[in-house]
Amino acid sequence: MSVVDRRPIRPARRPATLGRVIEVRELTKRYGATKAVDGLSFAVGPGCVTGFLGPNGAGKSTTMRAVLGLDRPTSGEALVGGRRYAEIPRPMHHVGALLDASAAHGGRTAYDHLRVLARSNGIGDKRVVAVLEEVGLAGVARRRVGALSLGMRQRLGVAAALLGDPGVLLFDEPVNGLDPEGIRWIRRLMRSLAAEGRTVLVSSHLMGEMALTADRVVVVGRGKLILEASVRELSDRFRRDVLVRTPRPAELTAALRAAGATVREEAGALLVRDLDAPGIADLAAAARLPVHELTPRGASLEEAYLELTDDSVDHRAGGTDR
Amino acid sequence: MTDVIASEWLKLRSVRSTGYLLLALLLTLLAGSAVAYLMTADWDTSPPQQRARFGSADPSVMVVPFGQFLFGVLGALAVTSEYGSGMIRTALVSVPRRRTLLLAKTAVVGGGAVVLGLVVASAAALSGELITGDRPAPIAAFDSSAALWSAVLANAAALALLALLGLGLGFVLRSTAGTLVALCGLLFVLPVLVLMLPQPWDERLYALTPGVLAPQLTGAMADPSLTPWGAGLVMVAYAAVSLGAGAAVLLRRDA
Repeated sequence: MSVVDRRPIRPARRPATLGRVIEVRELTKRYGATKAVDGLSFAVGPGCVTGFLGPNGAGKSTTMRAVLGLDRPTSGEALVGGRRYAEIPRPMHHVGALLDASAAHGGRTAYDHLRVLARSNGIGDKRVVAVLEEVGLAGVARRRVGALSLGMRQRLGVAAALLGDPGVLLFDEPVNGLDPEGIRWIRRLMRSLAAEGRTVLVSSHLMGEMALTADRVVVVGRGKLILEASVRELSDRFRRDVLVRTPRPAELTAALRAAGATVREEAGALLVRDLDAPGIADLAAAARLPVHELTPRGASLEEAYLELTDDSVDHRAGGTDR
Repeated sequence: MTDVIASEWLKLRSVRSTGYLLLALLLTLLAGSAVAYLMTADWDTSPPQQRARFGSADPSVMVVPFGQFLFGVLGALAVTSEYGSGMIRTALVSVPRRRTLLLAKTAVVGGGAVVLGLVVASAAALSGELITGDRPAPIAAFDSSAALWSAVLANAAALALLALLGLGLGFVLRSTAGTLVALCGLLFVLPVLVLMLPQPWDERLYALTPGVLAPQLTGAMADPSLTPWGAGLVMVAYAAVSLGAGAAVLLRRDA
């Protein structure tokens, strides 16, 4: 049978609050002495792409595995649609997941791999063909998974996630191993899935990637929540300064400092913090100092992210300054 | 559940290793038949006093031990290839109820092994009959067709048992190499070690090794330590313990 079950997941015990499709509550996962995830709580809502960001080892994959019921939380819980993943019958119709690209038997053909998964959830072979078509693997469907390139295997993982036409999608580092064309493709795919009202959670350790794809970000470090914000808020919030050029820097610096601003000189320009551009302009006018350039600068998201996760990076190349 | 069984059946059919194992079983059958044929040819040219000392030209003698190992590999690979490749995570995301996954795998591997075991055991016994023709015992293994079919059933059970044992061990150990070493140890090393023990423990424990359960099940073994019922119970215990341990690990440990 190939009838796609589009019904929303019915809440089992507690009502799924609207806008909290994926809900992680006080999740802790301990492996021996190390806490991979430490009291993490966040929620993911429908209709947008939520980026799940953190440096390597921050606990992103562990969290995803807990959401999917692969790892049992030490404490806390992870719910999808208000219930534990393992309680969802035929879960592929509700939740699609892309784990690491290697999570397939290398000896099976791409087509058979998908058929095996489809069959376990009562999905017909027609849908398998359609999905192969959709991810651009129709031409290599009869090739063994082991003979596919990393990028193709990544696409195969996406195909598996899409099989049940699910309302919730989890992608763990989907751009890994993809070529630029593939990266563009998966970005567009995630955006269009979210635009259809689905819930999309995508993990990445690259802020730059998320800035292009995600609407919201959940940033974690050392297993703890650092920040949950929209991408816009994030870029608004971080390290704003104003670049000022003047032929009389010493006097302007003194005036700015007197007004409480922090001033740094760099490449013949002044970088001013703690005072916004109109404030600087007024001050300069009052002091009758000429200003040749006045440019408010937002820190790049990448910088914001590095600043956020600075304390939570486990290993860093010795002595190199970013 | 039926969906998951269908999926597991397709899993088994869609990998090359299953084909290779069937081929290996066929080669074992051919080799066993070749040995039976050579024995029979030798019998025909031997004087009567030597003929009395002949064993029976039954290919099963060779096919069952090798077959047991191959069946064990079949059962083990159904699990360990998934752990080795990471497929297990994909499988558990599509079927998160682990009990269901275990039951479906057990049904498919066990059911398939019973059918395949019957085919292999019958083929071995019948080819032996064909080769020995109307020659008398001891070169002919069976004096009646009832004896033949009871041996076929017991051998099929001994083969299928190893598939379940391999499956259970696979869930416990998760590694192909580890599971195959364990199977080899159980089938080929343990019997030798056990026979080094002081009497009467050598024979008592030897009787419990998986290779000698089938002849005790039919009562064909001379001077057996176990009654047929006892041998049957030991077989059930092997399967129950290994699958039980496999279930405990699958249900408790992270994938």
